[in-house]
Amino acid sequence: MSNLSRVEPFSDGFVSAMCPELILFAGMLALILIPNLGKGTFRIPGTQIRLPWLLGGQRFKITSDPRLPSWLATITLTAAFLNVLYIFSQGLDRTLIVTDSGKELLLINGFSRVFELIFFGALALASLASMNRLQVHGIGSKVSESELYNNRRQADFYILMVTCALGMSVVALAQDLFVLFIGLELASFSTYVLVAFLKESKVGAESGMKYFIVGSVASGVGLYGLSMLYLWAGSLQFSVLSVAFAESGTTALPLIGIGFVLVGFGFKVSAVPFHFAAPDAYAGATSPVAGVLATASKAMGMLGLVRMLLIVAAPESSDGSAIWLVCLGAIAAITMTWGNLAALGSDNPKRMLAYSSVAHAGYMLAALTAVGAWNWDSTVSGDASAAAVAVMTALLLHLVVLVAFKLGAFLVLSILESDGGASRLSSLGGLAKREPLLAVAMFIFMISLAGVPPMAGFLSKLLVIMGIVRVAVGDMGAEIADGGMYAIGDLHWVWWLALLMVLNSAISMFYYLRVGVVMFFEEPEEGREGPLPAGWQVRTAILACVLVTLLVGVAGDSLIRLCEMAAQSLNYEW
Amino acid sequence: MAGAEATNTIDSQWLDFAPLIILLPMMTFAVILFLGRVFNGNPFWKNKMKEGGLIALPVMGASLVISLLLISEFLGGFNPLKVFDPATVEKIAWVNSGVWDGGSSVKSVTFGFGIYVDHVTVMLLFVAAFLCLLINTFSIGYMNTDPINDNRNHRFYAEFVLFCSGMLGMVLADSFLWLFIFWEIMGLCSYLLIGFYYERPSAASAAKKAFLTTRIGDVFLMIGLVMLWDLFGSLDYAVVFDEANIEAVAASSAGTLQWALGLMFIGAVGKSAQFPLHVWLPDAMEGPTPVSALIHAATMVNAGLYLVARMFPFFGAEALHGDLDDLAFIIAAIGGITAVMAAAIAFVQMDLKKVLAYSTMSQLAYIFTGLGCAMYLANTLDWHHDDDAHYIVVVAFGAALFHLFNHAMAKGMLFMASGSVIHEVHHAHHHLHHHDDHGDGHHDDHHDDHFDAQSMENMGGLASKMPITATAMLVGSASIMGLPLIGGFWSKEGIIANAWRVAQEDPRFFLPAICVLLGAAMTGFYMSRMWLKTFAGKPNNEVAAHVGPTNTWIKTPLFILTFVTLSSVIFAGLGFTHWASDNSYELGEKGLLKGLLYELEHAFANSDAFFFVLTYIAIFLGAVIGPGLAMALYGGKLAEGEETKPWMRPVIQLSAYIHKRFNFDNSAFAESTLATALENRLYIDEYYDKAMIHIVAAFSTKAAEADSEVIDGTIKAIESGSQSLSSVVRSMTTGSARDYILMVAVGTLSIFMLIWGVA
Repeated sequence: MSNLSRVEPFSDGFVSAMCPELILFAGMLALILIPNLGKGTFRIPGTQIRLPWLLGGQRFKITSDPRLPSWLATITLTAAFLNVLYIFSQGLDRTLIVTDSGKELLLINGFSRVFELIFFGALALASLASMNRLQVHGIGSKVSESELYNNRRQADFYILMVTCALGMSVVALAQDLFVLFIGLELASFSTYVLVAFLKESKVGAESGMKYFIVGSVASGVGLYGLSMLYLWAGSLQFSVLSVAFAESGTTALPLIGIGFVLVGFGFKVSAVPFHFAAPDAYAGATSPVAGVLATASKAMGMLGLVRMLLIVAAPESSDGSAIWLVCLGAIAAITMTWGNLAALGSDNPKRMLAYSSVAHAGYMLAALTAVGAWNWDSTVSGDASAAAVAVMTALLLHLVVLVAFKLGAFLVLSILESDGGASRLSSLGGLAKREPLLAVAMFIFMISLAGVPPMAGFLSKLLVIMGIVRVAVGDMGAEIADGGMYAIGDLHWVWWLALLMVLNSAISMFYYLRVGVVMFFEEPEEGREGPLPAGWQVRTAILACVLVTLLVGVAGDSLIRLCEMAAQSLNYEW
Repeated sequence: MAGAEATNTIDSQWLDFAPLIILLPMMTFAVILFLGRVFNGNPFWKNKMKEGGLIALPVMGASLVISLLLISEFLGGFNPLKVFDPATVEKIAWVNSGVWDGGSSVKSVTFGFGIYVDHVTVMLLFVAAFLCLLINTFSIGYMNTDPINDNRNHRFYAEFVLFCSGMLGMVLADSFLWLFIFWEIMGLCSYLLIGFYYERPSAASAAKKAFLTTRIGDVFLMIGLVMLWDLFGSLDYAVVFDEANIEAVAASSAGTLQWALGLMFIGAVGKSAQFPLHVWLPDAMEGPTPVSALIHAATMVNAGLYLVARMFPFFGAEALHGDLDDLAFIIAAIGGITAVMAAAIAFVQMDLKKVLAYSTMSQLAYIFTGLGCAMYLANTLDWHHDDDAHYIVVVAFGAALFHLFNHAMAKGMLFMASGSVIHEVHHAHHHLHHHDDHGDGHHDDHHDDHFDAQSMENMGGLASKMPITATAMLVGSASIMGLPLIGGFWSKEGIIANAWRVAQEDPRFFLPAICVLLGAAMTGFYMSRMWLKTFAGKPNNEVAAHVGPTNTWIKTPLFILTFVTLSSVIFAGLGFTHWASDNSYELGEKGLLKGLLYELEHAFANSDAFFFVLTYIAIFLGAVIGPGLAMALYGGKLAEGEETKPWMRPVIQLSAYIHKRFNFDNSAFAESTLATALENRLYIDEYYDKAMIHIVAAFSTKAAEADSEVIDGTIKAIESGSQSLSSVVRSMTTGSARDYILMVAVGTLSIFMLIWGVA
């Protein structure tokens, strides 16, 4: 790992370190400016001379194209994505952005870069897929160019996409809870509006409102937690907080603070019981947006939890206080079971996917619990960092590949949405006859979500389970190999989370495969036998998702290595 | 072979390209399937691209060219290569995994893919690549001119190229693991291709039958491979054929090895349609004719032979001396039994393709007998140190491989020629009977009007209508019969001679030895019968009288293969038999003419009195008795005014003469119970059906009951329980934001309680 370089804003090295964010910023400016270019003129006061100044007025043909904002956003996000990939290929530098007084603001390392990949990738795919999907009549009408929103309304949508990415990447980089909160709110507010973007439709406005209310409450609670922490430590710097926590972490103030912050992020990852608004929001939002909520937004929440629980309330530094472990374990267990049970009976594919993403959140929380199980529990010892890195790697990998198959599934639904709705499972009926490749893609996503080999979802789930078991076995592994006998009771209790994951996966098979049954064996709904609406953009995005799902499943080595590197760079000590 | 040292300085340019031989067709599979779906019905795709036929053709051509380059390099001396020398192995790592190695140790194992080139590989590679290309050419003439295939030929070509890819991969693979993988790819494709006309119940059930029957063998093969893995810890040829490794295994578990190889042999029995797993092959004729040619001549049935030939190093290993002779006997005996049984059934078949199918079984059985004898010799003689013994083993093994080569070429040609006949008969029938009364002129089913274009009852006297096809069929039949100097003669004599040589050493081998000798006469009879009934005499009905010549796509491969079969004499002269089994003999080292003289002398003027007599007995049986009887029964002049090519005229005249002179009444035989039994394929299929119904079906019924009541019952109970739980859980999502915030509050409180509880 290269040395940490400390850089002040706008000094040497700032641009290279913050390049993806700067690309986003430039893209945002372009999104504001370019769709407004037109034949606008400016009259010099007191004269009749009109000077053309190109802003406003009647738009040029190219700048009035309703698809232009989408292109701009897609290109911006893709460029940022590729930039991060390029940085990975060049080898990583660790850079800390500090204020002139030495306060740490942002840390750029492998860990944050992986999250940038997730965010930019998901949003780029979503904005590409949304290109023909914003129609005046809302969800349900057939797509036609003249029925798209005009380019100003479109620009609103895509500016929000880009700001969302910007906010998320700030969360990924933040080294200060205040900076993190700013980024979080930037991203959250963007998503609130994106969910409610189809304001003309009742369902869109209602779900956006609900999502906003519950979200603000959760944010408010989280903010309250932050203020508690500030009261206690006098700073919101991670470095300061983690030192303080090691000294006096079991006093009331920090515990209350962390508890409140957990609520805030719990909403973001849609952990039970903070998930209730999520199914409504997913059902009301356009499918690509719902996909972003289920992937990028969730990754952001996980990221916040990781920062909060593993950096601030780090296990090593809080000896004897397995405070959040039991709590998080309980939330994980309830979340995964609840999600799967709810998805089981859900007839609306979008709600089904929403509940499935609740279940996935449960799996990821279980992984996070396992990371925290090290070091303070007497039944677990041995090579702590190796096992922790293994679980963390699995968690990151799961977040990355989730973008492919969860978002992909939402994108397939988005095509159906423009064909007349995707709010009933039967709307998927006969998809195999109407567009076989799309049905195959959807099926691949479903079995990947269920965790069937050789899909990416299998690999990541397997690694998560293996990691948890490895943590639970601890240093007993070597003794078992030598013939030592242990009872299940000797294992650390996080083992039960792994078992619960396996059982839950079995339950989830039912509703994932049911989608396959409907697509391949049932007839289309009345009046929906014809071909699906065209649109190569969304299909390209789906194809990308399929390829990633398949490729990572069979040849994921390099991605796993990348995640491993990121996991190692999470903490200075790791 | 004994003293030849392996200098492993291999610098081959083309070896790196060898994977392309497999990959090109495999990728073409996807391409044709995709394009076929997209452009289905498009006139350009249909007429210019032949629905994928013209995509497959250059690809198979490229595979052949790379194969030839590799072969020429092999022949031209990126030698020295011992037979089965692991030197040419190049590996691509595929799966790397830990394997529990008993106790507490875990060892790391890499399954890689590599290319393995030796003499057997080279020969089969040529056979497979060459015939695949020709069959592809033939298919374009055959499949694309039949309206019932319209708009679905892309499926045929896609499956065809995947099949070819499977065969080529199997030949080139460097381990039994990959051999098995490609073996199964072929199995899948054969299922798909035989069932190409899946709407026809007979085709669908034939496909199923072929798949399931070969699957029985494959299960044993898999068990055998697992056992082999257990013994050697690897399935790579480089490891299992290593003399030191064989020695180690032989010391502790030679018996287990024999079992492993025996089980693998059962897999070969299934794939190569030998008794008792032969039942699928005649039914497989339901597939289109190019498929028959592909499966029965060029590729799939040879896979079993290839597998057995691959086992040769075990039999030849010094360490296992005398340990595997029982298995060698079983191989030879299965061959012998099948040779006679199949030939006998072929006597009474009226379906042109079925005669060829049984002939295939019978000829493959010859090769198995040859391999079994060669393996017995290798296993019991001290051939590593004794030059005479070495020569005997090499010639025995080489004869079997040479017969494989000859048979593949001749049978491929025969199938294609028969396809050409069937195609034209069908066409003539169509022309005569359907031209007026069916406006669309299209028929979904060949058989719906009870006219059987494959039956020899509807042929006769076609020699004048289809001279090229008739010539090809004549040469092919002669090669299969083993008429002196033509094709199969050179190898068949060797197999018969070796069977008797072994029988002198071990009396058990009298069974296969007598069988193959008897089989020679029977082959002579049924092949002549087939040719005469089809091409000689007068047309049997109006349809046969209206058959016309065939198209160029079909003629070209026939022409090429006629040439190859006739030039088999050159291969013999080059010492193919020696070369094919041991490269210490170079191809053509004696010079063509001297080599030829040597072979002729060896065949016709053997210094050993026993073999001298044996040779003439075999020739007499195969070339005089068999055809003579057939001519007496079925010979006849062509119809008035019909002329044929000069080289076929004497054959037809001779047959007419013998028919007139020696004709006898065979109705006593035709009505005997034996004939009925033969027509019913010796009732073997019936017995299998009965066994299925009484044992398997009864068991399945019980299993199905247990499944639906116990297992499904449990699962349904769980499911309905989960569903009701699900509605409880979902009912908490009320849709009202107020309730959600309440839940957030509840959650917050719970978190505090949990944290407090711990703290």
